[in-house]
Amino acid sequence: MKGQEWYQADDVAQEYDDKRFSKGGQLIDRREKEAVLEAIMPVEDRSVLEIACGTGRFTVMLAEQGADVVGLDISAAMLQQGRSKAQQADPEGTLEFLRGDAGRLPFPDDHFDTVIAMRFFHLADDPEAFLREMRRVSRDQIVFDTFNRFSARSVYNWALPMGSRLYSKSEVSELLAKTNLTLVDVEDDFLAPYGLYRSIPNALASPIRALDEAVGGHPITDHFASVSYWNTELR
Amino acid sequence: MKESLLEILRCPLDKHELELEDAEYADDENANEDEVVSGTLVCTECGERYPIEDGIPNLLPPDMREETPA
Repeated sequence: MKGQEWYQADDVAQEYDDKRFSKGGQLIDRREKEAVLEAIMPVEDRSVLEIACGTGRFTVMLAEQGADVVGLDISAAMLQQGRSKAQQADPEGTLEFLRGDAGRLPFPDDHFDTVIAMRFFHLADDPEAFLREMRRVSRDQIVFDTFNRFSARSVYNWALPMGSRLYSKSEVSELLAKTNLTLVDVEDDFLAPYGLYRSIPNALASPIRALDEAVGGHPITDHFASVSYWNTELR
Repeated sequence: MKESLLEILRCPLDKHELELEDAEYADDENANEDEVVSGTLVCTECGERYPIEDGIPNLLPPDMREETPA
């Protein structure tokens, strides 16, 4: 997995949410949460596993919606951030965090209703193996996102501490076929790369986002979208 | 972690069940279930031991533990 050391540093974990999801990043945060909820609601009383949960942005949200959620991450520092966030929240469902390897999940077969992995596959060295392992522990649904090839994102990848693996649509379709998953829905979003949103204040981010929305949603421009949300179910 | 989480946790290596040893619990009268803050999870098959650190179980396989210090 790329960027393991950077990702697990204490100071990186402490600043992670502030750096990524404040200012223009709020738009990304909101849009990602919408995408996840749209794919998996209603979650009440469903058991959900989140792979690479980081500071628990989705984990906590899903527990608040009534799901019984387990968040798994490789970084102890990130998980402690999630744990303190969870202590301030008042979840309807249950919420647990644990440290583990996404390639060797510490759960029995067919255990969770839904398994989600957001901002994970762009770091995966062997996506098929990870997806196969997610499928093993799921009995119904798998939701994940990918950063796309042919997007504006390519131009600034070199600047990321972790680098990024980009996917074409056909690569993902092939992955789904190999792991016996059926595509329920795919949504494309964000023509301008995340890095741009993060670096600008909200006042500027909103008009750029509005432009993104106006231009996006057409067959030609979707090809250049920089992130796709994949909603799949077990065959 | 809540003690009930144990029911769904498995050894990441062979997927066998785990047993909780040396458990220490948090004193929280408001919680409806005891929170395990430290202890060790032991695989009932291969005997591999997994620590619970600050309330979070560490189920990284042994070969990943050194590369990824807390």
